[in-house]
Amino acid sequence: MAKPTDLVQGTLDLLILKTLSLEPKHGWAVAKRIQQVSQEALQIQQGSLYPALHRLEQQAWIKAEWRETETGRMAKFYSLTRSGRRQLEKELENWVRLSTAINIVVQEV
Amino acid sequence: MRILEKARLRFRSLLQRPRVEAELDEELRFHLDQLIEENVATGMPLEEARTAAHRMIGGIAQYKEECRDMRHVNLIEDLAQDVRYTIRSLAKSPGFAAVVVATLALGIGANTAIFTIVHGVLLRPLDYPKPDQLLFLTAESPAAGGTRNPLSAPEYSEFQQMNQSFAAVGAYSTGGSAYTTGEVNLTAGDRPLRVRSISVDAQLLNALTLQPQQGRLFREEETARWTGTLPPPIALISHELWQTAFGGRPLVGQKVEIEGRRHEIVGIMPPGADLMDNHTEVWLPLWLHPSMAGQREAHVLYVVARLKDGVTLQAAQTELDAFVKDWGERAGAKGHVPTNRPVLSGDHTLQMRSLQDAIVGSASRTIWVLQAAVGFVLLIVCANLANLMMARAGSRRREFVLRTALGASSGRLLRQSVTEGAVISGTGGLLGLWLANAGVRLLVSAYPDSIPRTHSLSVELPILLVTLCLTIGTALLFGFVSLERGRTSSMATALKEGGRGASGAWRHFTRRGLVIAQVAFAVMLVTGAGLLVKTVYNLTTMDAGFDRSRLVTFSMTLPMANSEADTRAQAYQRVLHRLRSIPGVLGTVAMTGLPPNRTPDAIATPVGNFTSDDGRHVAIVDYYQLVMGDYFRTMGIPIVAGRGFERADGASQGKVAVVNESLARKLWNGQNPIGQRVRPASGMFGATENAWHTVIGVAKDVRQRGIERAAGTELYLSLDQHGVAPPSMNVMLRTTLPPAALSGTIELAVREVDSTVPIVRLRDMDRVFAESIRRPRLLAQLLSGFAGLALLLAAIGTYGVLSYMVTERRREIGIRVALGAARSQVLAQVMRQGLSVTAIGIGFGLAGALIVNRMMASLLFGVQPTDLFTIVCVIATITAMAALASWLPAWRASRLDPNVVLRDE
Repeated sequence: MAKPTDLVQGTLDLLILKTLSLEPKHGWAVAKRIQQVSQEALQIQQGSLYPALHRLEQQAWIKAEWRETETGRMAKFYSLTRSGRRQLEKELENWVRLSTAINIVVQEV
Repeated sequence: MRILEKARLRFRSLLQRPRVEAELDEELRFHLDQLIEENVATGMPLEEARTAAHRMIGGIAQYKEECRDMRHVNLIEDLAQDVRYTIRSLAKSPGFAAVVVATLALGIGANTAIFTIVHGVLLRPLDYPKPDQLLFLTAESPAAGGTRNPLSAPEYSEFQQMNQSFAAVGAYSTGGSAYTTGEVNLTAGDRPLRVRSISVDAQLLNALTLQPQQGRLFREEETARWTGTLPPPIALISHELWQTAFGGRPLVGQKVEIEGRRHEIVGIMPPGADLMDNHTEVWLPLWLHPSMAGQREAHVLYVVARLKDGVTLQAAQTELDAFVKDWGERAGAKGHVPTNRPVLSGDHTLQMRSLQDAIVGSASRTIWVLQAAVGFVLLIVCANLANLMMARAGSRRREFVLRTALGASSGRLLRQSVTEGAVISGTGGLLGLWLANAGVRLLVSAYPDSIPRTHSLSVELPILLVTLCLTIGTALLFGFVSLERGRTSSMATALKEGGRGASGAWRHFTRRGLVIAQVAFAVMLVTGAGLLVKTVYNLTTMDAGFDRSRLVTFSMTLPMANSEADTRAQAYQRVLHRLRSIPGVLGTVAMTGLPPNRTPDAIATPVGNFTSDDGRHVAIVDYYQLVMGDYFRTMGIPIVAGRGFERADGASQGKVAVVNESLARKLWNGQNPIGQRVRPASGMFGATENAWHTVIGVAKDVRQRGIERAAGTELYLSLDQHGVAPPSMNVMLRTTLPPAALSGTIELAVREVDSTVPIVRLRDMDRVFAESIRRPRLLAQLLSGFAGLALLLAAIGTYGVLSYMVTERRREIGIRVALGAARSQVLAQVMRQGLSVTAIGIGFGLAGALIVNRMMASLLFGVQPTDLFTIVCVIATITAMAALASWLPAWRASRLDPNVVLRDE
């Protein structure tokens, strides 16, 4: 199984950070949320999601804590840390710059 | 903050591993359950929903592995796991593990041991401040064939005064005169000891920049007058002697008896202080006999000089060269000095080289040859290990492919291979280090004095670094060999042929190449060892000019301070007489210089009917041999013309002398030497006048300066006729008894004459000869050991490759046997394979040996590097080895039962 490429990896980080910026969520909820908001356009593979979550946690951008879900089951909830919030801003900025640039290129002619 | 948090997480992952793992499990299970729930919600039956979820999610284990990777703890955990795995898998094949580790330990051990010697003897600077400023001056007389001779006393003082380049020029002496032998009698308490001594002047200590541990060194004025009456009774003693003989009690200012005179100990040298690897225990003021001090021809002083700060070696050499040109004019001297005129036989020039070079001297070639030899051994070891690893890789190929199929990345597999290599070579390295340490100690004790500067050898930091490099190098080699096994062309084929191992042509080529290399290196080593063994054989069987069998010798010194030349002669006569009465002793004589290894005297001697090419009637005689008793008959030296000394000579007025063939040829070439006259410097050994002596006989040449060197010119004088004796003599007994059986009687006989005189170096002549060839012997024995090791390794290599090949071709052989091939044919075919590889190896090896062994040419004696006999022996040995190593696999192949083999497949 190939690991996500750099671009996808970077984008996935941004998506996760953005999704977690509203409220703490567990992995399943993060995947579902991205799927819903993107109107099923973005399908997050479990194989990418969990390694990404662990990586972000290792970078101390998100932190994890075990909490009860609405159904009463224990699940690992991730939330953004202060440095994670700064990282989100940085990645957003990057994304805007990059997507604008790509837009300019592809819409020319 | 973030760094701390990251560190905390890293530690948590590492230390609370079970908990982190459980959490990971739980997290992924939660996800799976959610997926199932979702599927059920769409109306799927539970079982189906579960299967669908599992299908969607794929390999849980792989996600886990990736999550773990993200936590960056895998590196460390993998390492621990790999080490455990390596140990487990090695324990499963203990034979393989033992061979690999032992081979590696021997290779690394031998290299570390020899490099310890290279480092300690050749590379380590001398233990003086700024050692590279210290130079050693020698006199070279190319016309007379003398090289690296000491300087004469007048030359020394002239050079000391004239030079500009040196901050200090000093001299020492250990021999060359009958009075200073490099050893003195010393009485510590009431115990007579024979200790190693050196006579130095104050400038020499100044040049070495030694600082006393206690007391002081010699003062300028104490050693300035190094001739005339006896030197001032002062001495410096070594730290080691102070500890062992005097128990370290206060000694400075005390009197100690040395050579029968009470000497004041003015200082104690620091630990390890020495000069020219003399193992000096007592330092005495430099002193020469008056007859030597004024003579330009008496080369008796060794000169050490320290360059001034900032003066280059080149500048000093230029100055020295300039001196040599007009030395005679500057010093106002004529004859036997370097002068600006055609070179005459007595002429010489001065040369300098670094003190370190002077100390190590010819030992350096021996050491480098050893280093080269162990280098080859290491190469063979590496080739052998690569071979073994490839064989193992072949049989483990299936395992590796399976692991790749199960998701192990190639990087991960390589990492494991390198870990495996590191564990093996680490173990081998540690064991090798231990072996090296033991080996060096064994070497130093087994071959004392064979190599200079060995008393302070130890495995030091630079050596550890070299060992580390060797170990890492071999670990990497393992890694690369393993890398090769990682290259699987197709997983499917590999799995299919799995257990049999791939039969790629490349792999075969490499393995055969490795065996060829091993055989080639072994051939080179065995050839070198063979040549040296032959050298030692030639040296042992060399005719030294006298009958060495059944001779026992010892030496003794009657101190000149409490004896006169004539009383000494009587004392020696009494000793000889007493010894002659021992049953089993056939004859006894005494002599000043013990062949076959003595320092040349080089004494200018007036000769009648002879004119040297510088117009003087004086010849330099290399050796004076002053003898007592029936010398020539007892020693078994044939008299070529005339007669030897006889009892009647003692009473006759006319003094007589015997010359050796070389001297007769040099002085009176073509004329009858009998009846010619010489006037030896008899004052040197205590005679009252320098009388003319008549030559009565010519003796066959006796080797004096080493068995391998041509005999010099020698003049024999009878002390019986003069009635005098120098302080030190070597006593020789022709006897049927061994030295051990004689020692008690000899001690008794000597004690009766003088109870304070110790008996030194009591041994038989065979041992004297053995000691005189100790360095070639050391080289021959060590090289034979290394060659044996190389042979063994090459045999293992050949055996390994062939038995691997047989295993691989079991099926083919089985079919051929089933189709009616005779067993002898199978046997012959496998043998042929082994021997053909060996033959190629021998070819390369002999070519290499011809190139490399030229480096040893100067160490050989009586044998050429291209010696046919040796080469034939080597080829025979290697072929026998290869035949033996091939026979076992070949025999096994011929015994294969086609039924069993074909059913197995």
